[in-house]
Amino acid sequence: MSSVNIKNVRKNYGNLEVVHGINLEIEDGAFVVLLGPSGCGKSTLLRMIAGLESVTAGDIEIAGRRVNDVHPKDRNIAMVFQNYALYAHMKVRDNMSFSLQLAKRPQSEIDEKVGWAAKILNLEPYLDRYPRELSGGQRQRVAMGRAIVRNPAVFLFDEPLSNLDAKLRVQMRTEIKELHERLKTTTVYVTHDQIEAMTMADKIVILRDGHIEQEGTPLDVYDRPANLFVAEFIGSPSMNLLKGDVTAHGVQLGDGTVLPLPAAHRARQGQKVVYGIRPEHLMLGAGAKARVNVVEPTGPEMHIYAELGGQEICVVTQQRVAPARGSAIEVTPQLDRVHLFDAESGKSLA
Amino acid sequence: MEGSRPLRILRDLAAITVTGLFMFPIFWWALTSIKPISAVFDKDRVNFFDFVPTFINYGVTLFGQSRSQLAIDEGLGMGVAGADAYDSRQSILESIIISLGATTITMAVSVFAAYAISRMAFRGRGHYLNWVLGQRFMPPIAILVPLVTIYKTAGLRDTDNLYMGYLGLMMIYALMNLPIAVLLMKSFLDDVPKDVDEAAMIDGATRWQTFRKVVLPMVKGGVAASAVLVFIFSWTEFLLSLFLTTDIRTVPVKIQTFVTSTGNEWGFIAALGTAAIIPSFIFILLVQKHLVRGLTLGSLKE
Repeated sequence: MSSVNIKNVRKNYGNLEVVHGINLEIEDGAFVVLLGPSGCGKSTLLRMIAGLESVTAGDIEIAGRRVNDVHPKDRNIAMVFQNYALYAHMKVRDNMSFSLQLAKRPQSEIDEKVGWAAKILNLEPYLDRYPRELSGGQRQRVAMGRAIVRNPAVFLFDEPLSNLDAKLRVQMRTEIKELHERLKTTTVYVTHDQIEAMTMADKIVILRDGHIEQEGTPLDVYDRPANLFVAEFIGSPSMNLLKGDVTAHGVQLGDGTVLPLPAAHRARQGQKVVYGIRPEHLMLGAGAKARVNVVEPTGPEMHIYAELGGQEICVVTQQRVAPARGSAIEVTPQLDRVHLFDAESGKSLA
Repeated sequence: MEGSRPLRILRDLAAITVTGLFMFPIFWWALTSIKPISAVFDKDRVNFFDFVPTFINYGVTLFGQSRSQLAIDEGLGMGVAGADAYDSRQSILESIIISLGATTITMAVSVFAAYAISRMAFRGRGHYLNWVLGQRFMPPIAILVPLVTIYKTAGLRDTDNLYMGYLGLMMIYALMNLPIAVLLMKSFLDDVPKDVDEAAMIDGATRWQTFRKVVLPMVKGGVAASAVLVFIFSWTEFLLSLFLTTDIRTVPVKIQTFVTSTGNEWGFIAALGTAAIIPSFIFILLVQKHLVRGLTLGSLKE
């Protein structure tokens, strides 16, 4: 049992409250990603779980034990930092065994565990090197090795991939995911990269300004964003969000263009709303008229940026079409994929 | 380094000129130390290399040879008796003891102080730089008279107790060097990311273990560089040593005694002066890389 329970946790720096009463349950063995823009409080929350920041109010429980006042070393956690935080003067082997050495474990056990971790992480050839002699990805793996040798109750990752180049990031993403599949250790992972969150998480928790905006499985938050912030933050290219008014026939945009609405929705007639539709859910073909600005071929698909009712939209299609700039296209939203948000509160009306 | 070819040449020339200007007095000093007296006092011209080199000045100051005998043997110099006064071996020993002692005290205090300033939050931390600069504004001579009185009262004069005399000089040197040592060490420590401390703490290290086993080994180059700087400052200090001690004569004070009522012993002054540069020179070479980095960092960061 190593669930993590966060109960109404707040964090103040002086008079400034940066985390406003967060409640979060992280089940045993889950991979939870805390996602949000910088300054949203995700790292602070992680550091409070680690014990590196004090908790101003509320409780944090690890495996059912309240740990607010427990020293980091006694929380049975391991953390991987953004800049790896390796001990530069120690060889890889000593970096990985440092915690076991401090715990005065027998040498045979230390060797066994370091060997096991090195094998999992493909670090065996590098055990006698110094961190400075390793590549970024290898250093990252050493940082993970340092974490797993201790067999902790919870892994904490603080933006571990943001110092790596794009290709390596994708590779390490898979490796971390595989490691989790293998060890099934409860993991809390902080990132601002929504693709990392989508690909790795069992559960995504989206934070903004010290509040939880939404939590759910990756597809949950993708398919059913609770509000405008989540709708815009998740997905790339991001969701088309068009301002308009609800009429009997649909949503009327500024220039009179009317977009169709699904039968079931909670919007009143005349209500000011934001009409959300993901680029891949806009079909080319008879419908609302739009004027093409730019076409970006990505290979598997075409991204067409156009203007609809005076607002910029993006259409993603797998058809090999490349309409010229300034030409007219017609687009139709998939009705079952339309999101409707109240313009004022930003809340979903689905 | 970019720039067109003429610009590069100009820059190199400027560098050579500046270096030459700074190096020339040292070169001249070293040259004087191996000149016979006749070449030192050549009143017709500036004598660069037209002399038979002699090591008599080193022999007398560093190896305790009798000047009069050597002078007679080699047919050189004035051959004045009473050369014992120029044997500087005791002074060199005293200087080494005091400089090493002062350096040890300074570094022992400054690494902890710098760690605290770099890592921990406490009231007044931000004013530290002002305090350092403030202290540097004050000329040592301003505190000299009260200091002599204090030392006399506290029994830290070497005329009362030789050991206390050593301790007293080490203490005042340590005190003088602490601000700069702390500032330097802080800049080295600031270079070690805080994440490393935190990683160590999560790994199960106490604060002391974090400091001792993780942070300190990562800044050992910085410790060496700071120690060298402190050593050199102590090694070359003159004023406080002159006033606070009588029996103990550090090298700079000893050199000053070669200016006598019967004449200035330029050869001995130059020999001891040149010899005194050597330890600093070697140490600086060893830690040059860290020193430059530490000093520039210290000037950029608070």
